[in-house]
Amino acid sequence: MTEFFHMGGYARYVWPSYGLTFAIVILNIIWARRALRLASAQARGRLALKANPP
Amino acid sequence: MAWTWFHRLASPPHVYALAARLTPWLAWPAAVLIIAGLYGGLVLAPPDYQQGEGFRIIYVHAPSAWMSLMVYVTMAVSAAVGLIWRMKVAHAVAASCAPIGASFTFAALVTGSLWGRPMWGTYWEWDPRLTSELILLFLYLGYMGLRSAIDDVRRADRASALLAIVGVVNVPIIHYSVLWWNSLHQAPSVMKLAKPEMPAGMLIPLLLMLAGFTLFFVALLLVRMRGEILNRERSASWIREALTG
Repeated sequence: MTEFFHMGGYARYVWPSYGLTFAIVILNIIWARRALRLASAQARGRLALKANPP
Repeated sequence: MAWTWFHRLASPPHVYALAARLTPWLAWPAAVLIIAGLYGGLVLAPPDYQQGEGFRIIYVHAPSAWMSLMVYVTMAVSAAVGLIWRMKVAHAVAASCAPIGASFTFAALVTGSLWGRPMWGTYWEWDPRLTSELILLFLYLGYMGLRSAIDDVRRADRASALLAIVGVVNVPIIHYSVLWWNSLHQAPSVMKLAKPEMPAGMLIPLLLMLAGFTLFFVALLLVRMRGEILNRERSASWIREALTG
């Protein structure tokens, strides 16, 4: 197991590469969902404004 | 009749509903492929005879680099379709691509840099492949910057579409840079019209990762596209149904 994490001496290049890539994968999921939530909230706001103009 | 599929793809309510239904069917297979690819790449694949365990960076670097190019081509083609046929849905796809592509271009550059340090002895070199990939990142950032500078969505769509289409010339330059010029970067070993030069134990996990990332991109695109469609529909009654349903 230690040998696996050691990556034949390349650990300090291999693991940050995997870490960064998967951080970007997770961030993309969060960003995409947030973008959809924001757009839905804004569309709701426009509908409400149309129903009850100020 | 043969064109009904095309017209349906241009209809925002239809595409919105279809995207919502399809997303899990792409996201879960993507997760399975990526997990299998990771296990194959990190555990099962044999070490490289020259690079030892260091070559395993390929399993995150190559998929990120593939995403950077594939997403750009998707963005440019959608932008062109949007511009030519004035199709709102196509503009929504193009706008959805940019942040995904930019983030994976960044990942390709950083993982490449981390791979270059032990193998080439440098984190960065103004090499044709590396420089053209950096220009790709700037194209994505320029596209996003241009969009955010224009308030009106329709004008933003048209202006940014032109930028996306002009920038597509960079894609073949990136791909062929390692063949046209002297480059530190190796020539393609998978993306070419010949048998890949890699043993199956190394190649299969790489193909799993490439397929997994591609499906992941489509899933992300479908989620973002729904938001972009809502941004383009001002008073459509179907939005009420879409939001309550």
